Amino acid sequence: MTADRSNGIFYGVDRWTVLLYVAIVLAGWVSITAASYDEGAADVFSFSHFYMKQAVWVGVAWVTALVVLLLDERFYHMFAYPAYFAGLALLVAALAFGKEVNGAKAWFEFGSFRVQPVEFAKIATALAVARVMSDYSFSIARFGDLMRVGVVICVPLLIIVLQNDTGSGIVLGSFLFVLYREGLNKWLCIPVLLIAALFIVSFLLSPLALLVLLILVCTLSEAMMSGEWRSRIIYLAVLALSALVLCLAMHFIAPGRMSLYGALLTVTLLSLVGVTIYAFRAGLSNTLITVALFIAAMVFLPTTDRLFDSLKDHQQKRILSFLGIVNDPSGADYNVNQSKIAIGSGGFAGKGFLEGTQIKYGFVPERHTDFIFCTVGEEWGFLGTMTVLTLLCLLILRLMRMGERQQEPFGRIYCYCVAAILLFHVLVNVGMTIGLMPVMGIPLPFMSYGGSSLIAFTILLFIAVRFDASTRQFSLDKF
Amino acid sequence: MRSEERFGRVRTLQCVVLAIFLLLAGRLAYLQLIDKRYADLARANVLRHVVQYPPRGEVFDRRGEYLVQSRECYDLMVIYSDIDKRGFDTTRLCEVLNLSREKLRRELANARMRPRAPRVVVNYISKEDKLRFDECNFRGFYTVYRTVRRYPRKVGGNLLGYVGEVTEDMLRRHPSYKAGDYVGMSGVESAYEPLLRGEKGVKIQEIDTHGAIKGSYMGGLYDSLPEPGRYIVSTIDARLQLLGEELMRGKVGAAVAIEPSTGEILMMVSSPTYDPDELVGRERGNNYMKMLRNKRHPLFNRAVKAKYPPGSTFKLVQGLIGQQEGVLRPSDTHSCHLGYTYGRKKMACHAHASPLDLRFAVATSCNAYFCYVFRDILENRKYGGVKEGFDVWREYVESFGFGRKLGSDFLDEGNGYVPDRAYYDRRYRGSWNALTVLSLSIGQDALGCTPLQLANLAAIVANRGYYYIPHIVKRIEGQDSLDRRFYERHYTKVDARHFDPIVEGMWRGVNVGGTSTRAMLPGLDVCGKTGTAQNPHGRDHSTFLSFAPKDNPRIAISVYVENGGFGATSALPIASLLEEYYLTDTIRRPELVEYVKNMNIYYPSYDR
Repeated sequence: MTADRSNGIFYGVDRWTVLLYVAIVLAGWVSITAASYDEGAADVFSFSHFYMKQAVWVGVAWVTALVVLLLDERFYHMFAYPAYFAGLALLVAALAFGKEVNGAKAWFEFGSFRVQPVEFAKIATALAVARVMSDYSFSIARFGDLMRVGVVICVPLLIIVLQNDTGSGIVLGSFLFVLYREGLNKWLCIPVLLIAALFIVSFLLSPLALLVLLILVCTLSEAMMSGEWRSRIIYLAVLALSALVLCLAMHFIAPGRMSLYGALLTVTLLSLVGVTIYAFRAGLSNTLITVALFIAAMVFLPTTDRLFDSLKDHQQKRILSFLGIVNDPSGADYNVNQSKIAIGSGGFAGKGFLEGTQIKYGFVPERHTDFIFCTVGEEWGFLGTMTVLTLLCLLILRLMRMGERQQEPFGRIYCYCVAAILLFHVLVNVGMTIGLMPVMGIPLPFMSYGGSSLIAFTILLFIAVRFDASTRQFSLDKF
Repeated sequence: MRSEERFGRVRTLQCVVLAIFLLLAGRLAYLQLIDKRYADLARANVLRHVVQYPPRGEVFDRRGEYLVQSRECYDLMVIYSDIDKRGFDTTRLCEVLNLSREKLRRELANARMRPRAPRVVVNYISKEDKLRFDECNFRGFYTVYRTVRRYPRKVGGNLLGYVGEVTEDMLRRHPSYKAGDYVGMSGVESAYEPLLRGEKGVKIQEIDTHGAIKGSYMGGLYDSLPEPGRYIVSTIDARLQLLGEELMRGKVGAAVAIEPSTGEILMMVSSPTYDPDELVGRERGNNYMKMLRNKRHPLFNRAVKAKYPPGSTFKLVQGLIGQQEGVLRPSDTHSCHLGYTYGRKKMACHAHASPLDLRFAVATSCNAYFCYVFRDILENRKYGGVKEGFDVWREYVESFGFGRKLGSDFLDEGNGYVPDRAYYDRRYRGSWNALTVLSLSIGQDALGCTPLQLANLAAIVANRGYYYIPHIVKRIEGQDSLDRRFYERHYTKVDARHFDPIVEGMWRGVNVGGTSTRAMLPGLDVCGKTGTAQNPHGRDHSTFLSFAPKDNPRIAISVYVENGGFGATSALPIASLLEEYYLTDTIRRPELVEYVKNMNIYYPSYDR
């Protein structure tokens, strides 16, 4: 599978991907222009304007894309681990010597130019994950191999969370998407996702409700895995009955000593002993995994309060306001409210280019970076937002398609990693501007203002394009 | 992994991607297409409605001289949330606007309660200060155009009334007012509030997130200009008013002058009065409290609200009723020897010739004569009883405008008081007769008249039997006429012919010989009637009713001086000087002016 350079660097490059990429970048640039255009400015073409700076970055990004295409795909394969360790080193360096911006110690500053190593760490992690999982002897069903992938993902994630840049850290969690594609047991995915959701809302629920939910989630997903429904439902009914009986009995024997929660917890833990012994005897690995998951959740749930307290004040406020626990339109809610107003007031066709009042008069904060989608919503309306979303959706689906036609697992896994990262970014970024997600400071790929983000996403994407091009060269050459 | 399972997983992931995008698209469709709230919210974000206050209408006197002027001034407003969060130069702001840091701090603390609402920090900033403030550009602060009142002549405090910030109570009753609006609180200001006020305008501005103005919305398409308040020409003669207030200074009482042929109020003095400029501007509150605490109650408009016993001036009414009822002919004579004796009691009278007829009785103000007349009215056989006779008498009295509001344009006009049958039944437990209430004959007992009603009586006599409702407004900008009620003649129940002997008596009292001779003005044919009212507060009240000239009278006047002694002692000279000044534009008796000004009246009931 040698690349034949005689046909030029664009030979085999997926034209649709490049077209979508260019369209999204241009849409982003137009939005940045609208968000930062100043009617009063004397010199429209001065490089002090964001849109002129971004125009330069777009040029730099395109040159970078060319360079990425020029390099041989084997280089990336070889380069995966060094890049991964270099990325880790950069992250640690940022943690130690970096500059703090918006509460996150995640930036390097060179004069007026700021770089966020996280952007590049994502590429490195994606490469490393692809490398680990494409090893010849790798099997996702094997516990040790799964742990290896977990470590590769979790080490940078932890460092990023330590940098206080939780949003970017969680991006790496999106690799679950890739793991699923590569054959991770699907019934392991669902309880993991559900329990993650439970963690987020844990301080909304009473301990009893939380316990009941946990038992239901675990038992039912175990039932799904094993396909044994009858016995699991009988198990649930027995648990509930005995908990009630115990509670009533305690009420008469020693009133006030044991609540319903206590009774249920006691009954459940006792029953788990039996369940574990039975599972060992019968060799039901799924049941064992579920029991382990349940116990882990039980141990970690009480820590969420502590975990929450350890979050920075502004993050607490954002999460609380997102969950509707505090309502403070001029405080933590302000960003989201203003962004909803901007998008909502766009209506069907929008207010027109440079006519968006909420954007122009600065009501939406961060309107050219994290909240760039507001500009699209206000000035181009529903038509504009749908166009941009469609472009992004097509790009992600295209990446998955590209992944599927790879012949080597490395390329396939990498393409899926890129798709997962982009999907997560779009979901969280667009979601936060319309109040579906809590505010996490992560950019909208290819559109938000910022050189390092644009270049990093371009590299991320074009490495995938490079792999795809080689595959297609090979198949094209064959015929 | 088998290929069909792989295929299924890829499908699942594609569905996840599509589901996520559909979720986002659905939410966007809701925000942008279904929920219409956001367009309004966006507008509310960007638009600031700036109220444009109209200049308040001005008031002129009958000769076109300014009584009330509107002067431009500014209110300093603040929107707390727009203030620069890094702080601002408070010292400079205080210096420019001349206000204390203490006050600024207090007002900002208040503004903080509702950080997005505009709030007044300080009122009445002069134009010069405003211009200096504009140069400095403090974020979050801006000025609003207002007008304040100015009184070039400094007269007519209670008459013109004052303007104040609208009260909570007003806001509840009149929702068209907004907090911080100015509204007329008394006198002309409140009576003609809807005309003087004008209409507020609004200017819609686009602002950015810092509150900086970016231009007008839609090029000012939805702006409205303020409509200035209308001007009013009042019936007051400013110079006469000034003289009246000067003459009444140091006395407690009231003086009202009416043009009989129209019912226009030429002058209305309530004494003590105050400088109306004191109830304008920043010191308003303090001055107002000072006036409230003043024991002589300068804010009480005695001219329309006080209830005074009319004293002998009421004999005119008795004489008229007697004639109309047929129990008195002008030629009827009664004798009087220092009083009217009934049973063991005696209604005292002063020394004068006896017997005497109606004209002479009016001129000399004989008490006994009117006791006879009053008894005859009440004991008239055709009504079958004293109480029935009393009812008839009361109806007559009411037709003269006593005991009820005249319907003038003063909103707070008083009723006065004319006792009715029920009152005496209560007071004497049902057993009373003409002699019990004999004091009514000479305007004492429970009778209470406002100085405006007394002036109206003078006008009725001057007109020989009718009156126009006294009013204060001559012309309103943009209106051809006033309210209809001011053009209607109101007749008393006494025929015009019965007035002649009374007028004759009043003329003789001034010009031939009687109690009012000091009021004589050569060539003006003044007619007058003194009154001396006993009261429980000390010395007798002094009052004087007069009109002039006798034929085609141009002015009817009533002066009431509390504790002023005889009618001729204090009220008469004041009335006489006012008539002279109004009719001739000069005062030929400076010594009388000196006398009135130096008059020293002791008020034990007020100045305890």
